[in-house]
Amino acid sequence: MQMIVIFIIGILLMCADMSFTGFSPMTLFNVEVYFVPKFLFMYILLLTIYVGPKISMFFALLFGIMLDIYIGTIYGIYSFGFIAFVIFMQTAFRVFYRDFVAMAFVVLLNSMFFDLYQYAIYRILDFISMPLFDYFALRAVPSVLVNAFVFTIIYILAIQTSKVRKEFRRSN
Amino acid sequence: MTKFFNRNRMLIILFGIIILIALIGLSLTERNHTTKAEQFTGDVVATTQETVNAPFGFIGNIFSDFFSMFGAVDENKKLKEQLDMLPQLQADNERLEEENAKLQEALDVSSKMDYETINASVISRAPDQWLESFTIDKGEKDGLKEGMAVSTSNGLIGIVSRVNGGSSFVELISSNASQNNLSVELKHGDEKVYGNVRTFDTEKNVLVVENIKNQVTLEKGDEVFTSGLTGSFPEGIVIGKVVEVENDEYGLSQNAYVQMNSDLNDVDTVFVLKRDPESLED
Repeated sequence: MQMIVIFIIGILLMCADMSFTGFSPMTLFNVEVYFVPKFLFMYILLLTIYVGPKISMFFALLFGIMLDIYIGTIYGIYSFGFIAFVIFMQTAFRVFYRDFVAMAFVVLLNSMFFDLYQYAIYRILDFISMPLFDYFALRAVPSVLVNAFVFTIIYILAIQTSKVRKEFRRSN
Repeated sequence: MTKFFNRNRMLIILFGIIILIALIGLSLTERNHTTKAEQFTGDVVATTQETVNAPFGFIGNIFSDFFSMFGAVDENKKLKEQLDMLPQLQADNERLEEENAKLQEALDVSSKMDYETINASVISRAPDQWLESFTIDKGEKDGLKEGMAVSTSNGLIGIVSRVNGGSSFVELISSNASQNNLSVELKHGDEKVYGNVRTFDTEKNVLVVENIKNQVTLEKGDEVFTSGLTGSFPEGIVIGKVVEVENDEYGLSQNAYVQMNSDLNDVDTVFVLKRDPESLED
């Protein structure tokens, strides 16, 4: 039951991520500003804490492979990235307290690092040539803002998903 | 116990990195077929996404229909004026086509310019917004193959890189220019000269074309077409216009910066160009 709920929410968030491309490189004052949402990624990270690392790892792999094959130019970037960050998240939460602010901070920081990791790989492979400063000013900062706005919704979604399992267990 | 667990985790990550590097290698090699597993996954995700998007698209359409009603009368008038010329143009076109076919038959050549177009619409674009690649809603069953050229109404935009049953993955020429070495034809007045696309300059948003012979002096505004010498690209598809010309470092050839006609950030419908297979054989 919970697996199905997670899967459906995951698919919806993935579509939300993709729909951002409809307006994303926005031209503001003659410069292109990128808003890169990482809703699905944030959801998977939150699942690590609220539902459990194993389930989260499974969905990280599933959605990673789906994204890689469906829309990825280089295979493995998403599946490896998702899993690595889930493991990282698990480790990070031995250090941080589990309250809302700390959670928001760590998840947003991770979403920024994930984008940075993609940037690094594409840059190394010579697919893109965006300078580092432009990257931070025109991509990283606006993206973190967008993600911060939506974080609360995803936080609630993740908590609700974790409740699905409990209710299901009680009824059994 | 914790130490063991950490070591275990380190091993997973190390193996992951090795697999990632292997996969990067695999993705960078040129492949001319898509495996069944890839096709299956691609199709499943494409169908799911189309289903999810359907209700939103429906609502969006109602709104956009409503707003476009206001300008419809003026637009209709303009279109009618344009339409008046159409029968004559069509007749001319048919006559010329016939004449062309006869001449070709007489000369026993097949034209590289012959191609069929398949209309497709974009289902989704890559959410990471780095390489701007996208997925279209036509696939193997519509006759698509890897390596076909994809264009918008303004000009060439990309190349089909993976074909699934009912959807395909398209890479933009801006993102894979460095791997494909696309051959192009530059026209200055009546003179033609060839060159190769080396890379896409993301700062200036232009394609860099190299190895252009010095015999023809190119100027700003010269048009650039596909040459029909690369893969299964047909000849004579518009790519863009020259915005800057410079000599290369040894002065032996020229380099041109080409502004693409189609807007890479705003693509809704595209045409896949299917070249006449006869012209490919020779």
